[in-house]
Amino acid sequence: MEGVSSPNWLIAGQSARFVLRERTVSLLSLLFVVLVLISAWLGWSATSTVNRIYLDAAAFLQAAGQQVPTNPVLDISPLSLMRNMSVYVALIGALSAIVIGNRLIGLDRKAGVLPLIGIRPLGSNAYAVGKIAALTGLIVGLAAVAALVAVATFLVLPAVTITAAQWVQLAGFMAVTTLYMGIFGLIGLAAGAGARSETVGLLLPVTLWLTLTFILPQLTANLNPTAAINPISALATPPDTSFFHWAAIVLGPFSLTDAYKFASAGLLDYLPQGVTSPSFIPPVINLVLATGVAGAIAWRTLTRLSMTQGEYNV
Amino acid sequence: MSDAALNPVRLNPTPVRTIAAKDIRDALRDRFILIVTAFLGIAALVALVTGAIALRSDVATYEAAKASLLALGKSADAIKAPEFYPLRLLRGAIEQIEIIGAAIAILIGYRSAASERGRQTLALMLTRPMRQWQFVAGKALAGIGLLAGGLALVLGGLTLLLHLLSGIGLGMDDLLRIAVVWGVAVAYTACFFLVSFILSLHMKQPSHALLLAFAIWLTLVLIAPQIGDTLDPDNQVAGGVFKQLNIAKPDQIQIMKGFATFETVRGGIEQASVTKQFERFTFAVLGIKATYAGMPLGPILIEMLGNLIWIFLTALGLGALALALPLNPDRLAKA
Repeated sequence: MEGVSSPNWLIAGQSARFVLRERTVSLLSLLFVVLVLISAWLGWSATSTVNRIYLDAAAFLQAAGQQVPTNPVLDISPLSLMRNMSVYVALIGALSAIVIGNRLIGLDRKAGVLPLIGIRPLGSNAYAVGKIAALTGLIVGLAAVAALVAVATFLVLPAVTITAAQWVQLAGFMAVTTLYMGIFGLIGLAAGAGARSETVGLLLPVTLWLTLTFILPQLTANLNPTAAINPISALATPPDTSFFHWAAIVLGPFSLTDAYKFASAGLLDYLPQGVTSPSFIPPVINLVLATGVAGAIAWRTLTRLSMTQGEYNV
Repeated sequence: MSDAALNPVRLNPTPVRTIAAKDIRDALRDRFILIVTAFLGIAALVALVTGAIALRSDVATYEAAKASLLALGKSADAIKAPEFYPLRLLRGAIEQIEIIGAAIAILIGYRSAASERGRQTLALMLTRPMRQWQFVAGKALAGIGLLAGGLALVLGGLTLLLHLLSGIGLGMDDLLRIAVVWGVAVAYTACFFLVSFILSLHMKQPSHALLLAFAIWLTLVLIAPQIGDTLDPDNQVAGGVFKQLNIAKPDQIQIMKGFATFETVRGGIEQASVTKQFERFTFAVLGIKATYAGMPLGPILIEMLGNLIWIFLTALGLGALALALPLNPDRLAKA
């Protein structure tokens, strides 16, 4: 009981409850859940369409007396049905995490309650610990909903059999998804605490997200923005020129969306053979390192937040 | 005394212009517009440069392969020369305008409405002798004017770069096509400006309006085209399903006739998004889509008239909605 009512838990619990009451957070979270459901349907629908096209094409080729190649669907792992989820996490999941991080601090600053919290007999880091714990809980909750949808899809589809190793891979994908959303949540938290205005606190992480999602992949792999949001097209091999080699070395470790997509493709078995992430750091390690950096930034900003004022300028 | 003489609004036809000019001055005074235009400019520039580098790599690979074949005494006809249409290099930039340009339009719309509410000046403005629609029209004109200016700067800069770097220069026809794309880009981004402007002016909390506008942006700009793109069977297998099955184009068309309903649903999801309409129109005008490369502008405009009408009707519809919605006195101040 004492643990539950400790200042850290009190701040975390109260913050999470307040954020969940926000209609925009609910709206974005609902959109995320709907899209996760859509991604499961898309994966199934697209794969079964390719299968039917193959059957038609095989009949066509046979009639023309040509050799019939193997069905590409047979080469696809059932896990890859969930490939669209990686795109929706990179889009709406990251944006939801930014908004959650921003609101966790923004609500307190806007309501002007920081001085009230500041006069309470709390430890110097209790506010930061509470906020990061609340963010972790909310992000893990979102990822858990996505995981539930994925598991339910695999259990419901009759033709799909998942091995024990593939369940582990799916768990790995959900862990990587949590890390990726966590990075943006922590940046949202830091920007919400550090920015002087509420709008800037939201726009800074959104700008970073736009840059990571649509500009860096263009530099590291010549990937146009619309290709970057297709799970298969996003794994294209960059042109073999010194520019793209250097861009991959210099910018690859910062290209977190690339890292997430390659980590997802590896874990969900749809990474084409011989294709690797543009960064020299393996994608999962890249994401772990980025989470550490984002966590350090959020910790530093939160522990230095002035509790005497903290309100936003307009 | 006539009714017109008693009504100061009818005597003074300039409130729209005054408000628009004031908003533009305000926007140019702080660095916001400059920063967001620079961000779009950088994104578009990166797209142009990386596209040009990739094309140069294709040309070098072709030249090397051609030299090898000729050295072996064989014909170079076996390999296809990379086609070079300078305007095609604008593909990445157009996609950045589609995504980042629309996001910037949302920010401008939000600022346009939220600034008056934030400074508590909306109520004061409405005590002036003008009609509500004039206030809204002035603000909307200023926002769309700023978007037009920013897009002109970005596309103008890219055109200059393309002219200097392409090696063959751009002709009048190319410039005309870019001007058409600019006009349609203004109408396209105006749609997102108006969505954000209407929401920010009428919702209880402007910050919620901004987030809702971004949710709409996500759905229309990224998710609807992405669903359509993902459902494209040729995008399901690396390299394309038909390529992997070694099936020629005419046979592909024959096979896909059996999937007409699926393709209609897929096309319908894509076309529900104004973004896809913009993409199809601009890709045709600039010859980015192979079937339109080298085709004169006139027939392209006739063929793509449906896309053009969709974009302009969306913008006009939203504009009419912005003018028609009465301002709620409860929304005059910042919540």
